[in-house]
Amino acid sequence: MKIVSSAEQAIVKKDFSEVWDTRMARNTLIAVPALLAIVLPVMYLVMIYFLPPGQLNGMDQMMRLFPEELKSFSVRQSMFYLLTNLICPMFFLMIPLMNSTVSAACSFVGEKERGTIETLLLTPLSVKQIFKAKVVGCVLLSALSTAASFVIFAVVISAGDILLKMPFFMNWNWVVLVFLLAPALTVLGVIFMVMVSGKSKSYMESIQTSGYIVLPIVLLFVGQFAGLFQLNAPVLLAFSAGLFALDALLLRLAAHSFTPEKLLK
Amino acid sequence: MNAICARNLSKSYDGKSMALKELNLEIPGGGVFGFLGPNGAGKTTTVKLLTGLLSPSGGECSVMGVSPAEDPCGVHRICGVMTESAKMYGQLTGTENLVFFARAAGIQPAECEARANELLKRLDLWDARDKKLSAYSTGMAQRLSFARALVHGPEVLFLDEPTSGLDPESAQSVNEMIAELAGREGTTVFLCTHQLRYAQDLCGSYGIINKGSLLACGSLSELSAGIGCRTRAGFRLADGEKPEGMERKDGWWRTEILREEEMPALLSRMVEAGYHIYEARLIRPALEDVYFSYVERQEARL
Repeated sequence: MKIVSSAEQAIVKKDFSEVWDTRMARNTLIAVPALLAIVLPVMYLVMIYFLPPGQLNGMDQMMRLFPEELKSFSVRQSMFYLLTNLICPMFFLMIPLMNSTVSAACSFVGEKERGTIETLLLTPLSVKQIFKAKVVGCVLLSALSTAASFVIFAVVISAGDILLKMPFFMNWNWVVLVFLLAPALTVLGVIFMVMVSGKSKSYMESIQTSGYIVLPIVLLFVGQFAGLFQLNAPVLLAFSAGLFALDALLLRLAAHSFTPEKLLK
Repeated sequence: MNAICARNLSKSYDGKSMALKELNLEIPGGGVFGFLGPNGAGKTTTVKLLTGLLSPSGGECSVMGVSPAEDPCGVHRICGVMTESAKMYGQLTGTENLVFFARAAGIQPAECEARANELLKRLDLWDARDKKLSAYSTGMAQRLSFARALVHGPEVLFLDEPTSGLDPESAQSVNEMIAELAGREGTTVFLCTHQLRYAQDLCGSYGIINKGSLLACGSLSELSAGIGCRTRAGFRLADGEKPEGMERKDGWWRTEILREEEMPALLSRMVEAGYHIYEARLIRPALEDVYFSYVERQEARL
């Protein structure tokens, strides 16, 4: 049995082209991953590589807090370890979140704003099929962009690992982050935007509300920087499971509120 | 079986005022039914209820026996709908738009393009087929919307002001196509309009709606009889002649007759009375006269 029918595939394809043809959405889908997965890590790497280690204040105290197996790291290696395991995860998780909210805003709110949702609702597809096709389209687009971003990010960080003679960066934290937390956040971003779409009158208005969903991620990593907790693989795993449960609940609610009457208000 | 049926169909958007009040309709299959009324009369609300885009506040309706409230997809499978608010995709070309809606209607991918091409040719959009819809003029976009409503070969067609914004040539070609669909192909057309002159040329029966209430329903002669608009006998006479019991309007002396069969006898009497008759004709009530009579009567009652 096909996951999406031929008619639903047509919607997915149309949504892809619609998101790509919306300049702001396209720019966001390119600029956010480029900035967070390439520009910032490269800048940081260049800084670590070329800055004299003696000019980095407070590194000695920080290194004393490292686990035993990392205490043999040089200052540069320690700096790069911090980048890879504390700063980059936060940057990286912004990518699925931003991509999913932007593509869902374009697909759901944009369709409502342009008056094309009524035409779509007049096709023989059921409201549930339309909802499913649009959610699948947004999740797929966001997942593809996130996957591509991770590949590029992995190349950048691996280059840093080679330059600084460090072990390969990928650890269990990253595995959970890439394969569980990022997909869970992608789905959350899409559902959040679907729920917002009923109230938002324009694409821009809905994009502004996406700030609310980015904030918890920032707080999570700020909490780690502040020493409130440590985000290791089991914690991230539990967090991902919680998010998936939340996704399932919100997906039901969003599907329930996705009715022609509400969409055409 | 009636193609379109509504029983006590009502709709309120805010729970207080009624946008549609207990509409009762029975429209047989085939032919064009003109649903006439001013802006805000409840025409679009009726179309949205009949096509399952809105849920009724009361009553029920069906299209070819299928209830839009219970099975909207079933209704969409057999209906083509064109409303002013249902837009198409600006970033897609004319062909891409039609192919997309054909695929969404479940037509086999291989067949979609042939269907789209046929409609683009029929509606004189062939030369603009590869242009993006955003570059289309209002009239071209309107015709593409009409093509979209026809792409899956519907049995019932709901058209809400299909010729608004069209130039006379395009309006005529759309009207000809509607007449052809209703005539040769047996499609039932539910046509909402406030352009009464073209409705009279196109429609076989009518419903007049105002302020959410259906004022009358039937053929033009039935509507005329219902409001007391009678056929008149009209005579153009020599200057200075004044027949008794007739009124003069636009150079014609006119008098009401009960039946058209009275005309030969009346004409004979006029000749025998020595009037110089240059022209004689039956002046049947126009849809416009009948429509305004109903609306004015409702206004007077309120």
